[in-house]
Amino acid sequence: MGYLWLKALHVAAALTWIGGLFAASLTLRGLSAPAGSRAPGEQRMIEGVRRWDRCATTPAMLLLWGLGMTMAVEAGWFAAPWLMIKLAFVLGLSALHAALSGTLRRVARRADRRPPAFLRYAAPAIVASVLAIAILAVVKPF
Amino acid sequence: MIAREENGDVALEIAQLRHMRWASWLEGTTLVALVFIAVPLKHLAGHASATALMGPVHGMAFLLYVWMLIQTISSGDWSRAEIVRALIAAFVPFGGFVNERFLRRKQAALARTGRSGEDSWGISG
Repeated sequence: MGYLWLKALHVAAALTWIGGLFAASLTLRGLSAPAGSRAPGEQRMIEGVRRWDRCATTPAMLLLWGLGMTMAVEAGWFAAPWLMIKLAFVLGLSALHAALSGTLRRVARRADRRPPAFLRYAAPAIVASVLAIAILAVVKPF
Repeated sequence: MIAREENGDVALEIAQLRHMRWASWLEGTTLVALVFIAVPLKHLAGHASATALMGPVHGMAFLLYVWMLIQTISSGDWSRAEIVRALIAAFVPFGGFVNERFLRRKQAALARTGRSGEDSWGISG
């Protein structure tokens, strides 16, 4: 597969993944307080986001990893500092995704479960990471 | 109605543990293949392509395992000892297989008792 095809699919997978991360983080942030109660329709929304996470966001992340690794190996980028820094951001976002995905499952099961406090900062962290990743991938400053 | 929901919860947790077992087995197998097949092939027979292939394959399997571990920990009720044990298993050859047996026992216990365990950081209503 040509480089441009790999790159196009990689970008498409990244956009799908980031969209899913925002959906999960904003859904968890918007859960109504206090614990133990759910606003009407909230449970259905959580289930919908969970399904989307399982069917679209997680497969997009796996595709992103595979395509990214293939491109890096083929282009011989593994020694480049910009890629190492970008990988750190991608791994951080992946860990955040795992925490969001697990927490969605947790709060879907029981209304008395609340998301951990650090996930309140998930959306700003995603924005900052995406900005850094875009600059590192496009400008390749190092 | 509540009983049906609880059954659904247990079924979900069992499915998650089944996926974790699969990821653990995959991680363990690729680590053994890398350490005991690819590395000797490179250093003893001069086949550098063996590690060039198995390195990224194991890297992906390792990432998937850690990702699923974080997801499982975030969704379930694991003790600190269980988390440390599952993490260490990923770095030791054959650890993935030992971990797979631990997960199988956990899955069987869950299926037998139907209890998802105590909540470690949830707030009760």
